[in-house]
Amino acid sequence: MTCQRCKAEASVHLTESVDGRMREVHLCGACARKTGVTLPAEPPDLALDSVVQGLIVAHVGELVSELARKICPLCGLKFMEFRIGGRLGCPNDYEAFARGLLPLVKRAQDGVTRHVGKSPRRPPTAASTEQLKLRAQLREAISREDYEEAAKLRDQLRPQLKDAER
Amino acid sequence: MNLDDLTRTSGEWLKGSGPESDIVMCSRIRLARNLATYPFINRASRGERADIEREFKAALVEGGLDLAYMDVQAMSPLDRQFLVERQLISREHANAEGPRGVAIGPEENVSVMVNEEDHLRIQVMHSGLSLNEVWERINHLDDRIEETLTYAFSPQLGYLTACPTNVGTGIRVGVMLHLPALVQTKQIDKVFRALHKINLAVRGLYGEGTQAFGDFYQISNQQTLGKSEVELNKNLSDVVPQIITYERQARKALVEERRQVLHDKVSRAYGVLKTAHTISSEETMLLLSDVRMGINLNLIDDLEISTVNELFIHTQPAHLQKLQGRPLEVDDRNIARASYLRARLSNGRHPAE
Repeated sequence: MTCQRCKAEASVHLTESVDGRMREVHLCGACARKTGVTLPAEPPDLALDSVVQGLIVAHVGELVSELARKICPLCGLKFMEFRIGGRLGCPNDYEAFARGLLPLVKRAQDGVTRHVGKSPRRPPTAASTEQLKLRAQLREAISREDYEEAAKLRDQLRPQLKDAER
Repeated sequence: MNLDDLTRTSGEWLKGSGPESDIVMCSRIRLARNLATYPFINRASRGERADIEREFKAALVEGGLDLAYMDVQAMSPLDRQFLVERQLISREHANAEGPRGVAIGPEENVSVMVNEEDHLRIQVMHSGLSLNEVWERINHLDDRIEETLTYAFSPQLGYLTACPTNVGTGIRVGVMLHLPALVQTKQIDKVFRALHKINLAVRGLYGEGTQAFGDFYQISNQQTLGKSEVELNKNLSDVVPQIITYERQARKALVEERRQVLHDKVSRAYGVLKTAHTISSEETMLLLSDVRMGINLNLIDDLEISTVNELFIHTQPAHLQKLQGRPLEVDDRNIARASYLRARLSNGRHPAE
């Protein structure tokens, strides 16, 4: 493909929409700069993580990027991953990501951040959170193939599972 | 109960009984619930999802709940699709992977999906406009399940869900409406815009992102936090009668202004359904919609509304294949569909099962 202006090898390929019609433009680097189509000084880093991080810093500032790296200790989900996938990893995320999450909840829920209505007769206890922690440790032990540790953790979780198997 | 039993019956919600059932096909409420001691589905290992399933099954036994549990993971794609068509599981649940299932109640009023987006998605459906009864029933079922399982809950944010758009009550209160006259008179968009303004969502027959077909629309709340279940229920119960009034007005206008045209359209639709030898799913839905309105306007008098309601579901691809007992390609399905329709519509009045 040659440059439409000077017949040098084109390196910039654009598609623009003029009056609803699509038009293709092919230019060499020099002509592109002359026509005001600016090129990045160096090729962008294509590692997805850093591209996304870069976008976040550019659009929402450093504060959010700090938040983006926040990890829930119980399920290992990063706030960033939640922002991409839209799904949380465990009940503890609501606390771990509170600073970033509450404004989002507020926006999605008509400006409200307080529950009204039914509540369970037996709400979760510290023991429930303890089990979430044990499960996190178990997943971690399995992933590093520490089966001895995994067996121990499983034993600690056993009473509940036995209950379920009855 | 197993799947083959289901092919011979249809859900109570298709019976066409209950208040306003000429327009309100059914009322439906679902609750999103998660166990406090497990990560949400997208971070749960296969083993953990299997444990969640096991705990739920134990809770069914413990609570003496009359629900039949089916292992969706072990099912063939056809059987999963069959449950989607019956509104007992979501498309997402059918297409997901890993340990998951659904517990189904008698008459298909109740279904509990296990390991969908949340650990539990409890659903209750009733024929006609009966949101209060549906709420009472699902509230009671939720209590019974909770006697054995501990739900993830925070005093500030309520029931904790995988997606923050469901947090709080975790409730979706919905009605499925048949609105052919509002569609034909091109007033439907106006109605939808008004609903969006008051924070209600409109979806097609098969949920999120699906095109409405057969002129069926589901209307439901979007907000789940900061309003009680009863309030959210009331919000919808207040709005639905207005939409019913609009639809009735539009029907009346159609009858008064273009009676012959309307009668012709309805009769032709009925005629095609009774005589076609090959027919697509889309055309069937369109024509059944006309016929359904025709019955409600007394333009057709030899067909039960419950039969038409059933045909909307029973003429869908997985149902046809289950009824025929073998897999069918599109062309064969269209032939099977036409022959099924002819059989169901040929003898005039055809009592519902």
